[in-house]
Amino acid sequence: MAILNAATKEVQLKIVYYGPALCGKTTNLVEVHKRVQTAPGNKGRLVSLATNSDRTLFFDFLPIEAKTVKGFKTKFQLYTVPGQVIYNATRQLVLRGVDGIVFVADSQYSKMAENVESFQNLEENLRAVNLNLADLPYVLQYNKRDLEGAAPVEYLEFLLNSRDVQVPSFPATAHDCTGVFETLNAISRSLLSKFITQHSPQVAA
Amino acid sequence: MITTLPPLNEADIHGMDDALAEFLKQTDATTALIIDKGGFMITHQGDARHFDLTTIAALASGAYMANETIASLVHEAKFNSVYQQGESCSMFVNCIDEYCLLVIIFASKLSVGAVKYFAAPAAEAIAEQLRSAQDREPDSGFDLSALNVADTESLFRKRA
Repeated sequence: MAILNAATKEVQLKIVYYGPALCGKTTNLVEVHKRVQTAPGNKGRLVSLATNSDRTLFFDFLPIEAKTVKGFKTKFQLYTVPGQVIYNATRQLVLRGVDGIVFVADSQYSKMAENVESFQNLEENLRAVNLNLADLPYVLQYNKRDLEGAAPVEYLEFLLNSRDVQVPSFPATAHDCTGVFETLNAISRSLLSKFITQHSPQVAA
Repeated sequence: MITTLPPLNEADIHGMDDALAEFLKQTDATTALIIDKGGFMITHQGDARHFDLTTIAALASGAYMANETIASLVHEAKFNSVYQQGESCSMFVNCIDEYCLLVIIFASKLSVGAVKYFAAPAAEAIAEQLRSAQDREPDSGFDLSALNVADTESLFRKRA
């Protein structure tokens, strides 16, 4: 749930990275944290609530401030969900108040069923917190494009992006930061655009 | 019932800051924050220099929401508050309304009873401020149409 604070001239928006286990959600945040150009103080610490074996237990969290747009500070909070099937209750908690979604798919052929299952799980969990994917800005990221067993992008598009309204999608290799910023900028722009429209006077046709 | 957190103007923030400042005066607590259950910090009073309040807000909301789920598992509608006791520093989280939480950081030597006692009216005063914000004409005084999304082509840039 976006927050508009006119006193501090701040807009705060929440983006959740969703997807199957080991698809690269945490890697996206790690790369953003490592490589983003920001003014001092505009990047918070990357917090990971992980198991002993470095699997996400609750969520990863990265607060980050974008450049000021016309006097308004735009603050984004990036979260990941745990991908493992057993942590479904946790995924629902993290989705609470979400403004936009990045769905990270694993490009390997062997992971297609998990991608589809995770996408369906996303829709179910959004409904559980009274949200609807059709009403939220979201983008797709096809990660692990560097692997030999990667399926063609067209196939991923067919599986995950063949709805009435197609959303932007980005091939990526998150561990070397390829596609990571393109994805983040696309969802941020889309979110901000929706937010500005909501808070602009409606012009009668 | 508040259906979503309304846009907040300066009067709203000042009203909530006043409630927090009064609470800190009554209890001697170190820091008080108002956060939304999605993890955003809305405003705070007290010591902000020694704590990463942005991260505390995200984690406190996560912890509170996890406790809310636990409550449902033991057939409780909700746990209205969460108390985390440390050796020198403790934290108390009190529900404000459907969307917001009051987070209090205080020295463990202080009476948690007093913190709880004064947190209730503070939460009510803040809830009242949020209700009055909600009752305003939707988006009155807020026009973001001057913001141009074209300006945001690269909100985030990668370091070379």
